[in-house]
Amino acid sequence: VTVHLSILLALPLAGGVVGAVAGGRSARWWALGGSLLAFAYAIVAVVRFKAGGGLQFVTDETWIAALGVHWKLGIDGLNLALVLLTTAIFSACTLWATAREWERPALLHFWLAFAHSAVLGALVAQDLLVFVLLFDLMLVPFLFLTGIWGDTPRQERIAAVVKLFVYTLVGSLLMLSAAVAAAVLGRGNGHLTFVLSDLAQHTLSRGSQEWIFLFFAAAFLIKMPAFPFHGWMPDGYRSMPLPVLAAFSSVLSKVAAYGFLRIALPLFPQGAQHFQTLLLLIALCSILYGSAMAFTTRDVRLVLGFSSVAQLGFIVLGVFSLDPQGAQGALLQAFNHGLVVAPAFFVAGLLAARAGGSEDLRDMGGVALRAPVLATLFLIVAFATLAMPGSANFVGEFLILLGVFKAKIAIALIASIGVAMAAVYALRLFIGAMHGRVGPEVRSRELSARDGLVLVPLVLAIVAIALYPQIALHRSEPAVKAAIAPTAAAPAVAEATR
Amino acid sequence: VQTLAWLVLILPLAGSLVSALGFARLPARAPGAVGTVAIGAAFACAIGVLVKLQDLPADHRQVVFTAWDYASTVGVDARLSILVDPLSVFMALVVTGVSTLIHLYSVTYMASDRGYARFFSYLNFFVFSMLVLVLAGNFLLLVVGWAFVGAASYLLISFWYRRATATSAGIKAFVINVVGDVGIVLGTYFVFRHAHTLDFLGAFRTAGAQPEGSLTAGCILLLVGAFAKSAQIPLHTWLPDAMEGPTPVSALIHAATMVTAGVYLIARMWPLFEHAPAAADVGAALGCVTLLVAGTIGLVVTDLKRVIAYSTMSQIGYMVMAVSSGAYAAGLFHLMTHAFFKALLFMAAGSVIAAMAGEQSLDRMGGFRKAMPFTFACFVIGGLCLAGIPPFSGFFSKDEILGVIGERGGWHWVLYAGGYVGAFLTAVYTWRMIFRAFLGRPVPEAVELEQGHLHHAEAHTNPTTGEEEDTDVGFPGPEHHVAERSTAMRTAMAALALAATFGGALQIPLGATDVVDRFLAPTFHGSRFYERLAPSDASAVVGLALGAALGLLGIAVAYHVWVRRPGTSAALQRRFAPVHRLLVNRWYFDELIDAVVVRPFAWSGRFAAQTFERVVVNGVLVGGTTGVATAASAAVRRLQSGFLRAYAALLLVGVVAVTLYFLLQT
Repeated sequence: VTVHLSILLALPLAGGVVGAVAGGRSARWWALGGSLLAFAYAIVAVVRFKAGGGLQFVTDETWIAALGVHWKLGIDGLNLALVLLTTAIFSACTLWATAREWERPALLHFWLAFAHSAVLGALVAQDLLVFVLLFDLMLVPFLFLTGIWGDTPRQERIAAVVKLFVYTLVGSLLMLSAAVAAAVLGRGNGHLTFVLSDLAQHTLSRGSQEWIFLFFAAAFLIKMPAFPFHGWMPDGYRSMPLPVLAAFSSVLSKVAAYGFLRIALPLFPQGAQHFQTLLLLIALCSILYGSAMAFTTRDVRLVLGFSSVAQLGFIVLGVFSLDPQGAQGALLQAFNHGLVVAPAFFVAGLLAARAGGSEDLRDMGGVALRAPVLATLFLIVAFATLAMPGSANFVGEFLILLGVFKAKIAIALIASIGVAMAAVYALRLFIGAMHGRVGPEVRSRELSARDGLVLVPLVLAIVAIALYPQIALHRSEPAVKAAIAPTAAAPAVAEATR
Repeated sequence: VQTLAWLVLILPLAGSLVSALGFARLPARAPGAVGTVAIGAAFACAIGVLVKLQDLPADHRQVVFTAWDYASTVGVDARLSILVDPLSVFMALVVTGVSTLIHLYSVTYMASDRGYARFFSYLNFFVFSMLVLVLAGNFLLLVVGWAFVGAASYLLISFWYRRATATSAGIKAFVINVVGDVGIVLGTYFVFRHAHTLDFLGAFRTAGAQPEGSLTAGCILLLVGAFAKSAQIPLHTWLPDAMEGPTPVSALIHAATMVTAGVYLIARMWPLFEHAPAAADVGAALGCVTLLVAGTIGLVVTDLKRVIAYSTMSQIGYMVMAVSSGAYAAGLFHLMTHAFFKALLFMAAGSVIAAMAGEQSLDRMGGFRKAMPFTFACFVIGGLCLAGIPPFSGFFSKDEILGVIGERGGWHWVLYAGGYVGAFLTAVYTWRMIFRAFLGRPVPEAVELEQGHLHHAEAHTNPTTGEEEDTDVGFPGPEHHVAERSTAMRTAMAALALAATFGGALQIPLGATDVVDRFLAPTFHGSRFYERLAPSDASAVVGLALGAALGLLGIAVAYHVWVRRPGTSAALQRRFAPVHRLLVNRWYFDELIDAVVVRPFAWSGRFAAQTFERVVVNGVLVGGTTGVATAASAAVRRLQSGFLRAYAALLLVGVVAVTLYFLLQT
């Protein structure tokens, strides 16, 4: 079977559309079917993927000839794991949503499916303009999902949506103008093109690389979010309905991290090099600030939210070590964090349901007593979150810090404080919810089969990747090396031109 | 050898999984049997490995087996590989041997606890982790074992997780252990930078070629890991608190095995430390400081288990001092004998605590000699070992350490003297504990026990409602067993008592026996110190005599102060009030760490949450965007229902506008 990526993109959306048209009770099953088919198709792609075979399953059609825009899709070592992650997490989130009652379920599932397709598109796009458009488009469903089905009162969630929108709009516009500028400035005497492989051929002047790089970096850092661009995050996270939040936190932030490796480093290597220290410092601040917030805040969602800020800090740190080891770690960590944070949010939701609806740690406690299975699953997730050695997250952090250690030793030493801080906030969360005295409103009960169907496979996946992280590292190695290589060559080029 | 070596690892893991997954289906008593048999079988396999290994020629006794590539990419070579050599087999034997007995002891000790299956699952997982640690063939796997052990320790410390003291002790232990993990990871980077391999043997071969500054930094970071795990100053504060765990846990993890991992680490890394003498000196000096500080605290602590915990710290100080000074075999020999007698002391203490229905304060104990003759005998044997009285095992192992350190000469004489001062302190605090618990007027619990009754704790009641607390899990049950009355527990204690009494015969000075020395030699092949630092007969005799005399003197002092003249202790406290305050407050280490580490971090967290986030992130930074947002939301409010469509439209308009702009530019 050849894998057609256009089909992969269409599957979730088709499920959503058919469901929306069919309406009624069957809508959710259509949407779920579409997601699961996409997941199955992604597995086929992974199986058929040849490590070291470069860009594979390529689709390349001229889309807008006048602008040189191509509908070019492809999978290589950089996005293979993330495509699998995306389909898996969206399937889990759709399943979670399917099992619950919503107002206007057909519409909810349509938007989820829409988001699924858009994220997949952004991941496999091999054309800069297609990437930018889908990168912006994937946010739209989340605005609706939060605005209509959000968990906070109407006034509050609309404010959150506005904040989220304004922040990302700023990033989007910066990125769009940067993308257009990159194509226009880079074309020289040839004709306009947005195809990534073509853009990489023409090196921009150092000056334009620098500002274009900064625009892209700003857009990615806002979407992640990284400190100090995370202003939208607390309100946004509090307002999103749970399955939406799980998908958002697990997948969308990874597209931004992936963007650095796919776009920013290969196309603007000198810019990346010029701002390496700045980006490393932003990453370091994200780690320390995110960790400090995560062990102070009492809202379970925000503990996870700020822990994500810290974890994404590690990923940026790895990318901007500009070292193959650091970047390999960053990519592995992107996959791991996505795989860990989604079940963590699901568990948070289950805990809130057992604590009388409150998401405040002070109202929780003692849940483990009647729910040993839930407690065990949460323990595994918590240990993975704090990058316990033996988990794949540890391998990721190990490689990241090793890369940074070789590039900037002081930053690696300071960043390692974040590793110890992660232990504090992850355990604080686990103990606060599971151990200690039983909270006043807590009615503990065991994990239901319905929720287990979502949680158990995700936790098993965490365990599996922990036993054999090589499976991901092996496939991504050539692509990561290729993505990093231009930045290593950059100083030589700079010397030569001087 | 390969199959057996992997079996040593797999059996405990299998035991843990069976107990964990079958907790609802297996018969209630099954996990104890499963756990004990699994560890016992692992012990048998370890013996098999030992036999096979001894068949090989001496220079082939370091074998590496690889299961699969774990994370081998871009120049990092992390395989799932184990290193089987005399040192790892020695450790595996000590770990599985002592663990088997402690599992046996726990079968009865934990019998009435509702978390029975959970306990054995954790305990087996601990043994598995510890074996990963000692068998690991590269740095990455070492860190994995290192952290798993920390996690198992955390789970077992907060086993009774509804007690606030247990959960906070657990988190303290875990976080300090993570600090240690980070130290090892960073140390690994320093070594890896020049060795370009994570493999132990490969990295050790490059030790001589590494720049000394970098190697010293790496070794000091490795010491951070070793100190965190082995509760050496200044990373020791978690160990006394860890006594919140059930007593078998204290015996196994916080005395016999896990806390000696730091000693193992330094011994394993000997090629690195020998090329970084400055780091080795730091280790030796801090080990000596720890043994003295812990010894002095042990003099005043009134909690029975904490006395033994401080004694553990102090004894590990000896071992760290030994392996950092080149006395590898002596340090590891002491590790083994200490595992025997310290596990024995903890088991015996568990018996006393059970008889006191959970009460651990020495102030309330007394006169248990007649009520529990068997426990008393165990305590006496353990106490004699600890105090270093011939011919018990502790006597030979401790004196061997000090003898070899004396041979180093130079500033190591300070350590030599410190070691003998520590030996005297050890004898005093150990026998203070024994005299106070077993001699004197019997307390009511002891009297009751003599008459054949067992004192039971009252059921836990909720202080506000007076209802009986739910004791499903998370509390020790009201039922408990005294070791005296249970065959399983007596068997375990008797076996350890025998080992503690006669274990010293393996290595008797003056050339009588040197089993340990000869066995470990292949691991330390090429060392500058191994077997080259042998004390002369004359100095050995002096050392032995001095050790025995100080031990006896210490016991005599303890007898005088706490038995013959019971008021002396109070008088001394009054006379040296400042000193007593210092010791009772454990040299203020907890307060120091609180002020230097905990409070700044808590403050920065509060600052981030209450000031920075509110003022800067939501104020200044959002300032620009908030203006837009307010204007936009005002517009939206007028549009009411269709506001989201408006935003989507706005996005499109923006996209189109910018695109057009650039198109027109070109």
